[in-house]
Amino acid sequence: MTRSHIGQAIITQALLAAAHEMGVKLIRSAHSPIVREAQDCSAAIINSSGQVVAQAELTAIQLGSISQTLAPCLQRFPPGTLREGDFYISNDPYNMGQHVQDIFIFSPVFYEGELLGFTASVVHHIDLGGGAPGLNPHASDVHQEGIIFPPSRYNFARDWSGGPLEQLVAANVRMPEATIGDIYAQFAANSIGGKRLVALADRYGAAFIRAAMDEMLNYSERRVRAAISRLPDGTYTAESAIEDDGIGNVPVVIRGKVQVEGEILNISFEGTDPQVSTNINCPLASTVAAAVACAKSVLTGEDIPFNDGAARVINVDAPEGSVLNPRRPAPVRARLLASHRVFNTVMKALGQATPENVIAEGFDTTTPICFSRIETKGYNIYLEILGGGYGAAHGSDGCDGVDCPLSNCSNIPIESIEMDYPFLRVEEYALLPGSGGRGKHRGGLGFSRSYRILKDGVTFSTYSDRFVLPAQGIFGGEPGAEASITVLRDGEAIALRSKCGFSLMRDDLVIVRTGGGGGYGSPSERNPRLTLNDRRQGLAA
Amino acid sequence: MRVGVEVGGTFTDLIRIQNGSIRVAKVPSTPAEPDRGVIHALDAAGIDLSALDDFVHGSTVATNAILERKGGRTAAIVTKGLRDIFLLQRHDRTSIYKLNYRKPEPIVERQHVFEIDERITSDGNVVKGIDEETTKAELSRFLAQEEFDAVAICLLNSYRNSDHERLVERLIAGIDADLSVTCSVDVAPEFREYERASTTALAAYVQPAIRGYLRRLERSLSSRGFSGRFSMMQSNGGRLPAAAMGKNAISALYSGPAAGVIGATTMAKSRGISDIITLDMGGTSTDVSLVVAGKPDLTPETKISGLPVRAPVIDIETVGSGGGSIVWVDDGGLMRVGPSSAGADPGPACYGRGGKLPTVTDAHLVRGTLRQEMFRAGALELDPQAAHESFKDIATRLGTTVREVADHSIRLAESSIVRAIERVSTQRGRDPRNFTLVPFGGAGALHAARVAEELGIQKIYVPMNSGVLSAVGLLVADYVHYCAKSERVILNQEALPKIANILDELRDSAKKYLHSQGVKGSPLFRATLDMRYVGQAFEVPVLLDGNRDDVSSAMIAEKFSEAHQKIFEFSKPPDEPIEIVTFRMGAQVESSDAFLNMVRPADGDRDSDGTPFYADIFENGRLVKCAFYTGRGLGSVAIAGPCVISDETSTIFVPEGWTAVTDGLGNVLLDNISGERE
Repeated sequence: MTRSHIGQAIITQALLAAAHEMGVKLIRSAHSPIVREAQDCSAAIINSSGQVVAQAELTAIQLGSISQTLAPCLQRFPPGTLREGDFYISNDPYNMGQHVQDIFIFSPVFYEGELLGFTASVVHHIDLGGGAPGLNPHASDVHQEGIIFPPSRYNFARDWSGGPLEQLVAANVRMPEATIGDIYAQFAANSIGGKRLVALADRYGAAFIRAAMDEMLNYSERRVRAAISRLPDGTYTAESAIEDDGIGNVPVVIRGKVQVEGEILNISFEGTDPQVSTNINCPLASTVAAAVACAKSVLTGEDIPFNDGAARVINVDAPEGSVLNPRRPAPVRARLLASHRVFNTVMKALGQATPENVIAEGFDTTTPICFSRIETKGYNIYLEILGGGYGAAHGSDGCDGVDCPLSNCSNIPIESIEMDYPFLRVEEYALLPGSGGRGKHRGGLGFSRSYRILKDGVTFSTYSDRFVLPAQGIFGGEPGAEASITVLRDGEAIALRSKCGFSLMRDDLVIVRTGGGGGYGSPSERNPRLTLNDRRQGLAA
Repeated sequence: MRVGVEVGGTFTDLIRIQNGSIRVAKVPSTPAEPDRGVIHALDAAGIDLSALDDFVHGSTVATNAILERKGGRTAAIVTKGLRDIFLLQRHDRTSIYKLNYRKPEPIVERQHVFEIDERITSDGNVVKGIDEETTKAELSRFLAQEEFDAVAICLLNSYRNSDHERLVERLIAGIDADLSVTCSVDVAPEFREYERASTTALAAYVQPAIRGYLRRLERSLSSRGFSGRFSMMQSNGGRLPAAAMGKNAISALYSGPAAGVIGATTMAKSRGISDIITLDMGGTSTDVSLVVAGKPDLTPETKISGLPVRAPVIDIETVGSGGGSIVWVDDGGLMRVGPSSAGADPGPACYGRGGKLPTVTDAHLVRGTLRQEMFRAGALELDPQAAHESFKDIATRLGTTVREVADHSIRLAESSIVRAIERVSTQRGRDPRNFTLVPFGGAGALHAARVAEELGIQKIYVPMNSGVLSAVGLLVADYVHYCAKSERVILNQEALPKIANILDELRDSAKKYLHSQGVKGSPLFRATLDMRYVGQAFEVPVLLDGNRDDVSSAMIAEKFSEAHQKIFEFSKPPDEPIEIVTFRMGAQVESSDAFLNMVRPADGDRDSDGTPFYADIFENGRLVKCAFYTGRGLGSVAIAGPCVISDETSTIFVPEGWTAVTDGLGNVLLDNISGERE
């Protein structure tokens, strides 16, 4: 052990703290509710060769593939050509981006004229134009989903900051104040991360920081390798399905194969259904991120800093033209549906290797609720992400009423919604007793959220799942309850499809019921105390 | 005579001031009946209670009631449709990869939540009134199902219109006049319903526990002849008459750490130092906080057991690095310190009470920065061999020596303290180099110099009695009460009368409250506006001189923009709309200014003849000869590091490149004379 060993531990702490600070400040200074309340954003610190070394653990789907989004930028505009104030921007699903709404901004950090690394931030933006405000459920290609930034390089002072790029974006989105404000928050987060990196270089020297970043990657790699090596070698297969593509009634099936080979994990989705004409296609970056997030959750403890070192030993591939690696110009807005089925598939496969470390399927369907209305000042768009019940675990019941594994959005306080959206009143926000699948441990409960529409001219759109095919139990556990969306209008109940748009009228009541999680193990093995407690609290059916 | 008694987890500290002299006492706490510990401490210090004028008390009763789930049986009343507010919480997870994630356990059970068919809008209009007769009948049935000790009422948008909460409060009083009822508008009249409901429920929950505690304590005190003032410490750093605390116990949640910060602030002020960073290192964790111009930073929200509490508290960052923190190596080969701790039992390996795992304290013994000779015979028996043994496994595993491992583990512990200080300084746009570090608690001063070097801090002030600084904080705490009001006001010149009105209103109610609690004198005010750019969801606190009315919107806007820039590294052009969301007013009445003039060295601090002994220490990768002084009677000549100065309550490490000087009162000042290290 040398002095560098202790320096390593200190710099690891400092870089994780810096990434975390970037994430927290991004949320706290953002404008659109999807970031500021729902926290749909992430931040990372990247070394000079483009590998993520530290990240703010906020939204799993945006992590685990950040470096792959950066790679085409580095290829087109080599780092050697970057100047102070330059930045990369990309949201191109067909160049290793996620869906169009997630804009990635990468800022180079220089130290004494040399590239030290990058700081990165990702934000889900409330509206980037496209065929409908906030969320276009009918898009038949990616161009109808919003403005696309291919991997490109700009300069902050010249192009943003009142410059032509900022004006171009402002002119092409429906809520320019929120979108432009949120992009500024991204730049600010990047600059904070950059400051912290430079301060560390001042203190420990740039060469030492570079070496420490490399060692962080090696460290995570070692720990993930150790975790994989504890699994029995073998090939494990599984599948999961999205119940429909939003038009037909045929499930879209994800087929996965997880191969454990010593210290390496190979995950392949050969045999997965082909891409579809609607927005549930999942760009490759999202597929990779979802598979890696699942492997990380199952295999490792919470205290392993998750970075590209882990990705070195987890290989993910999906056939081109499949729903998990679509060809341009397929729409991809609802990619989280497929991403979550990727998560479920990998989970089930790993469950054969390590049954005690997996959970049953949960609702696992990030359900955006989008209401929009044109008011005197322009568009007012409400977008909120709803989860449901978590899958039950070996040692405990699934978590009730919580966001899904790949996203991590808070609810928006009702008192905040009603301040900002005069056309909405939330009349109910409640758990759905009995909605968790029975088992030795029961699935988490889904919940209902009801919105009274107070004005005419409100449009609703969403994409969801598990209205027909509920979350499955595992090892004898039972399935959770299905989800539904109903509009009550003049005493009549209108049942909506899981993926749809709908024009609302004043006084309509939109009732969203999200699904429960699946159970773990046979219900006959359930501890009577748990059953009694559920009954006492009125949480049983 | 004035006495402060602070009940901590392990020790109960007492400080007494009488005729210009100070006496301190430390007795073991009695967690099962903490009020008995108080009486023990008073007895141990030989206090004549009939001569006691001012008794100030800080206790963990409220905190423990929540942590141990020993509060009253609590019912909650909410708006129809929100029965599950305590279970749904905020719908997010604090750990994104944890598959068996569980939310923090609420303190109100689901079957004890009652929905009322009523509705108020975000602008305060009633869209669904309360049918009194039906509601009263239903409430009676509901309250009869269980023997409730307390009721919390939190209705939607009540922060804009409290009528419905007041009505329900009256209805409950009509059903059972003895039931303790807490309205959300009284404890946290701010928007965001879950946080408000959580605060209200917790406040209701601790009420019966703290009331019972105060009743018992008052009885014991008065049976011993006490008839003076009795105050309790709050988490905001101020005190309140004990009677008031019985009604607002949630404000006592983190009173212990707050008292420490106030004690440190006051001691530093007495030396003319008003910008400080406090560092309180205990056995399991370390607390740090930042004080600007003699005023500790406040934060509007804190959490306990994962549940939010919306009440102004001194902004304290805690890290799991303390003297008892365990040193270990993870499966990636990285050395780690904490968060698990050997606690008091079995304690560090060197205590010889059965602990085998290496801790930070053991590391000090191995390095030589702690040694048996520093302690008075019989005070504490340390086993250096056991400390050495405890590190052997790690040393073998990492292929190095025991003393290297020990030295590194201390630097690691220090680095996590550095991160904590960065969170209250750098991350809030404050440069730590402009501050003086004030360490206290048993181990704070052992680490302060190296922590200071990492942050570029040049001066350290170690107050006398640093082991009982919390008790000092109690005695010097002023009477403080905070009022808040959530109202959205777009900032412009036309809005000024409205802003002034709200501030007036708050000033008036804060003052009235203090007067109603028997606190005389005209308060000083401190106004805080929670502000944001229109469209943002989180607010930046903007501090105003609460005693003045001559504010302009441009001035407020500028202060906001400055604060925003400091924290977020950007601000918007001046024409961007800004809004005020919540107004806060703190009213402060001084308790006494006599303390500072009366400060004298504590008893037992004069017993050193100033002659050190010398021994080798292995510190920061090098073996150096170090002087060890006992007591703080060093004389007024600065001594150079490396040296260790220890007294009854704390140990100071002065590395090479630093000097130490005492002021004759037992305070020690350290200066970095080498500039930045390497």
